[in-house]
Amino acid sequence: MKLLAVLAAVVTALAVAPEARAQDVPADDPDFGPVIVIEDIEVVGNRSTQADVIVRALPLEIGDALRAGDKRLRDARFKLLALGFFRDVTLGLRKGQERGRVVLTVTVVERGTVVLNRLWFGTSVSSPYWFGVDVAERNLLGTGLSLVGGAIYAGSGDVEGSRDQWAARLRIADPALLGTPYGIRGSIGWIHGSEPFRVAGEPADDRARNFEAFSYQRITARGGVTWDASAFTTFALEARLEAIDVDVPTSPTRALEDGRVSAVDLHLRPGSSEVVSVQVSLDRDSRPDPVLPRSGSRFAAQAELGSTLLGGSYDFASVDTRYERWWPIGKAAALGLRLKGGVVLGDPPRFDLIHVGDVDPLLTSRALGLTLSAASPGDLLDTGTAEASYGEVGGSVGVEYARHLFTRTSLIYGGDWFVGGGLWALSSRDDLALRDASVWRSLPVDLFLDAGLRLDTGLGVFELTIANALGRVPL
Amino acid sequence: MRLLSVVVALAVLAAPAATARGDEDDDVAQKSQKMKFTEKDGEILVTTKINKLFDSAAYEAIGSGFESTILIRIWVYKKGGSDPVAFTVLQRKVIYDMWDEVYEIQLDGPDGRSKQKVKYRAEALKLLTRIDALPIADAGDLAYEEHHYLTTVVELNPVSEETLAEVRRWLTKGGGGGLDRGGGLFGSMVSVFVNPKISDADRVMRLKSQPFYRPTP
Repeated sequence: MKLLAVLAAVVTALAVAPEARAQDVPADDPDFGPVIVIEDIEVVGNRSTQADVIVRALPLEIGDALRAGDKRLRDARFKLLALGFFRDVTLGLRKGQERGRVVLTVTVVERGTVVLNRLWFGTSVSSPYWFGVDVAERNLLGTGLSLVGGAIYAGSGDVEGSRDQWAARLRIADPALLGTPYGIRGSIGWIHGSEPFRVAGEPADDRARNFEAFSYQRITARGGVTWDASAFTTFALEARLEAIDVDVPTSPTRALEDGRVSAVDLHLRPGSSEVVSVQVSLDRDSRPDPVLPRSGSRFAAQAELGSTLLGGSYDFASVDTRYERWWPIGKAAALGLRLKGGVVLGDPPRFDLIHVGDVDPLLTSRALGLTLSAASPGDLLDTGTAEASYGEVGGSVGVEYARHLFTRTSLIYGGDWFVGGGLWALSSRDDLALRDASVWRSLPVDLFLDAGLRLDTGLGVFELTIANALGRVPL
Repeated sequence: MRLLSVVVALAVLAAPAATARGDEDDDVAQKSQKMKFTEKDGEILVTTKINKLFDSAAYEAIGSGFESTILIRIWVYKKGGSDPVAFTVLQRKVIYDMWDEVYEIQLDGPDGRSKQKVKYRAEALKLLTRIDALPIADAGDLAYEEHHYLTTVVELNPVSEETLAEVRRWLTKGGGGGLDRGGGLFGSMVSVFVNPKISDADRVMRLKSQPFYRPTP
């Protein structure tokens, strides 16, 4: 951590170049410009987006009296662009019926609002193939509602007891209810899963014969409210109801290398069980460009409390946090720091534990809740991480250097190559409590490295990285 | 730890390439422009024009009733040097009052703020784009007979980083899910959508003067 502090100091010093003084622009004059009264707001060019949705997003309304130099007028165009519904927005003013009154004309050029959010595909020992997509319509029927649907299918491999898996999730959200900073959102998901667990073999031996799988089904409903506290900060409060139906093997065990047999805790109630929980979350993102970041930061945190007092079968609490900060190195490069961590307390269902794919970027992440690979980590530092599959305490810290690669064209806005790496750790609270050495020596910690290319284009964003490839085709 | 050391080394190596100067940018080419430099009352003054910042659309927009803003940043460098000797920032704004049919202009510079009203758009443009005997450095900061040059970055209606962040925030706002432990903007290799680019200014112009020097008296 001392090294990271030094690193941050170096980068901060580099960032304070003479150009930083250029930010010393004179303060706004609140008395600049004639006083005008908004007599009417006309919306032009909207073919699918309802005019009300556009007018509600403006930072001013009919009847407002303000200076023509008011920040709200300057910001109006960007408030509309921030909806993500328009390719361009042009504002105009013309004289109204009486002196001092003006009509604000908003001309929009709509864009396609269907977004391919994610594409899942790959192969592993436990799932020889999987394929899935997550697609969103961000402006459903022009109402400003967001509808997101995701589905994935994974074939079963040679793991005993495994079956084909599939999952689907449908999410709907109104991020600005009636133009207010409050929103609502809800989702429903169905998982028909098959979860592998190790029953034999050395930790690094990922052959199918060393695993068995059990079948389960999860149906999850979530609903909650959001609050945009500022342009960059959103809070959310959400409830979760989940029904789990699991066919847990009786007394699952694992044959250890020394001949002993140990019990395997699958962290699930046999048969049917329920999860009832409440969740609060915060997301603050101040990166001017989240695709090819050069500055700013993002912080996201989520705390969840599940209880039998609420009607569930599990008493647990969890906290997940993520922090990312970027420092510019001139205009062409940037250094990023990424921190991610979580802790789960109590008696959570297996699916709420931290999976090794959540913290090690070189492994396959879970997709829509499905575990697609039982591959073990590389254990590059020989600290015993190959044993890690699920844990209650985990996280990662990474540093990334990104540098501008492409000159901007009409279609490719920019491209970066990047190289990065860091450390991740995952453990259970019991393993940490029953250690015979310091926390640092007892904590399975491993290294990850990554490099690749990112493109920001008119058709979306693309990333080609070593870690991404390894997550799809484990070596 | 070795990896982190390598990354630090990379960052430090990259640092000399950093834009610690006002004459480098990836997107906008720098153009040479002849400028007039004089010395008066212990100050170096520059006279030049930036009227090429305005194309016909930008010129028409002056009369739209919305504010047009020009941000002018000026650096003075010793020839061959990498650190600026002096830095000046100017901000100029214009708004058309459609009821009184006048252009209100506000000029901010080293001498403070001044306001004017003019009748015609051409007059407004002249006030906005003319740099007339502007003090850019203390004469004492420029050694005799040493060559210096001036660079300037002129932006029309610059957009703040905060606004850019707000405009692109929908990219990472969740669609109703919460924190996806394995997710993120990237991680799926591709995200396809209509992706219009929002520029950080309507127009940007980068100029570099000819070398100049203070002759020994």
